[in-house]
Amino acid sequence: MIGLSSSKEFEAEDGLKFTSPDFQVGEPHYSPCLLLNEFAKQPCFLEMIKADIISTVEFNHTGELLATGDKGGRVVIFQREQESKNQVHRRGEYNVYSTFQSHEPEFDYLKSLEIEEKINKIRWLPQQNAAYFLLSTNDKTVKLWKVSERDKRPEGYNLKDEEGRLRDPATITTLRVPVLRPMDLMVEATPRRVFANAHTYHINSISVNSDYETYMSADDLRINLWNFEITNQSFNIVDIKPANMEELTEVITAAEFHPHHCNTFVYSSSKGTIRLCDMRASALCDRHTKFFEEPEDPSNRSFFSEIISSISDVKFSHSGRYIMTRDYLTVKVWDLNMENRPIETYQVHDYLRSKLCSLYENDCIFDKFECVWNGSDSVIMTGSYNNFFRMFDRNTKRDVTLEASRENSKPRAILKPRKVCVGGKRRKDEISVDSLDFSKKILHTAWHPSENIIAVAATNNLYIFQDKVN
Amino acid sequence: MEFKLEAHRIVSISLGKIYNSRGQRGGIKLHKNLLVSLVLRSARQVYLSDPCPGLYLAGSPVPPPQPGEPAAGPPAGWGEPPPPAARAAWPEPETPPERPAGPDARRAVDAEPAAPGAGDTLQGGEEPAGGAAAEEEEMETGNVANLISIFGSSFSGLLRKSPAGGREEAEAEESGPEAAEPGQICCDQPVLRDINPWSTAIVAF
Repeated sequence: MIGLSSSKEFEAEDGLKFTSPDFQVGEPHYSPCLLLNEFAKQPCFLEMIKADIISTVEFNHTGELLATGDKGGRVVIFQREQESKNQVHRRGEYNVYSTFQSHEPEFDYLKSLEIEEKINKIRWLPQQNAAYFLLSTNDKTVKLWKVSERDKRPEGYNLKDEEGRLRDPATITTLRVPVLRPMDLMVEATPRRVFANAHTYHINSISVNSDYETYMSADDLRINLWNFEITNQSFNIVDIKPANMEELTEVITAAEFHPHHCNTFVYSSSKGTIRLCDMRASALCDRHTKFFEEPEDPSNRSFFSEIISSISDVKFSHSGRYIMTRDYLTVKVWDLNMENRPIETYQVHDYLRSKLCSLYENDCIFDKFECVWNGSDSVIMTGSYNNFFRMFDRNTKRDVTLEASRENSKPRAILKPRKVCVGGKRRKDEISVDSLDFSKKILHTAWHPSENIIAVAATNNLYIFQDKVN
Repeated sequence: MEFKLEAHRIVSISLGKIYNSRGQRGGIKLHKNLLVSLVLRSARQVYLSDPCPGLYLAGSPVPPPQPGEPAAGPPAGWGEPPPPAARAAWPEPETPPERPAGPDARRAVDAEPAAPGAGDTLQGGEEPAGGAAAEEEEMETGNVANLISIFGSSFSGLLRKSPAGGREEAEAEESGPEAAEPGQICCDQPVLRDINPWSTAIVAF
């Protein structure tokens, strides 16, 4: 049995041996594992069943909050319960903190096109006061939301009564000073800025700069730099649109700012390349500072080589020394100082290589998987099909496949490693490639910034797994 | 021969995807269509480079494809097993490399200086389907009559989502917008060069 525990080295049932400072096989003991049910099961979300496919998951900088965006344009924020001595086993559960409708469907009359309300990305701002701020974006518009708590309300107005109705001034004979009285905690979300009309193509990424004053938004062909205070203009810093669209050969697929250097960012392309740009070099960063590309393996050439090399996600490590990219079959780690090939390549589900034609037919080959680093950059995680997700320990080179499913996980159960049988005899507990459910895909995952807590979105279910209590 | 069949199948699937993407909510996805067009081009190259008897090839043999360019020569008749009326063999013209993705692209370029954001109206509609465009335009020479009737019946013909006639019709409809950018085949008809089915559609809306 495997659990996210922190002490020992063990051999799991199927012989998988595992040890690492962050992720280890645990003994078959009690390990709290929190499972959040689909939104439909919580009474206040019953009406959201149809449009609650989760489209993005993101922890904030402290890990106290976890935000999810869904296909219906809603954002749900979970807050971690404070630890208490009374409830040792309920340490750090995440409960719903706030829900709001971030984006609505829109219609662009000029182009006769509907604009989907689906939230493509959420990014948190670091906390600077009592309120929380996050950016959420759909295909066209980025919004800055303020999430704040209110636990007091003013009472004793002179001109209006307790229900807010205006009082007849003639009836007022005395004056009093309104006082603040405690009330039930209310969390409210208000849109503070709306950054619209800057993208012709579909926004795929947003990234907050380490200066906390600017952020960027990237669509298929352009990247814009915004100041949080200014909504009516943005700077275009990357433009790869060819003068003649017939010559289009690649699009931007993801972009991110360096975690520490506010002048540096990277963007990935559909051709499997990554460009690192320095905004100090020029106003328009069409010329990259570094260009990361691995030469293609000619033996793997197929009709679909170009599709599977398209990068779906790019993430800087917390240290800022590495970038990780995800393409259809692999995750790669690149050293910023070496452009000609990645330093590490991990096969996520290489058994799909022979199935590319079917995956092309059913559109699965276009799925955009994300990838995440753990807090110490020692483990990377990404999703796969059949509700499987994979973790790779960079130090020990061990990897594990886990499954996010209600059938296999009870609250406080320990996750069991899964294995896909490629050919030949299928052992007990293995699943064959042909039995994989390709409609159950894990595209979005998140890792707590400092602890071993992960959030995994499986279509319309959110799973949170965490380390055992000591 | 298997490669050819496989390639043919992939081309059909790809065209279907491009066609269906037009009805998608949220507009055409540029990235996906670009990838599909790359697959289309690869499949087409394989198709044309795989010598195989029994298909409607006119006259001269198909030259080997140049790397990075769509192969010269029309895949005349590759689209269908013996189709009705449509694709008669025709002499291979010198097809220029990388035929344009069509009116979308041109309009995008034209419109952009005029109004940022107003241009590229079919966001992602600039299907850079070089391979697809070349195919469609070659089919077009055999299908001019069909196309004229499609245009004549206004955009509803192109927008029909479930073509009654099955695959051929889908491809004919698909060839409509793409083929409005005439290759050298239709250069005698300058009026076609200016027909822009996408803008026609927008106006119609």
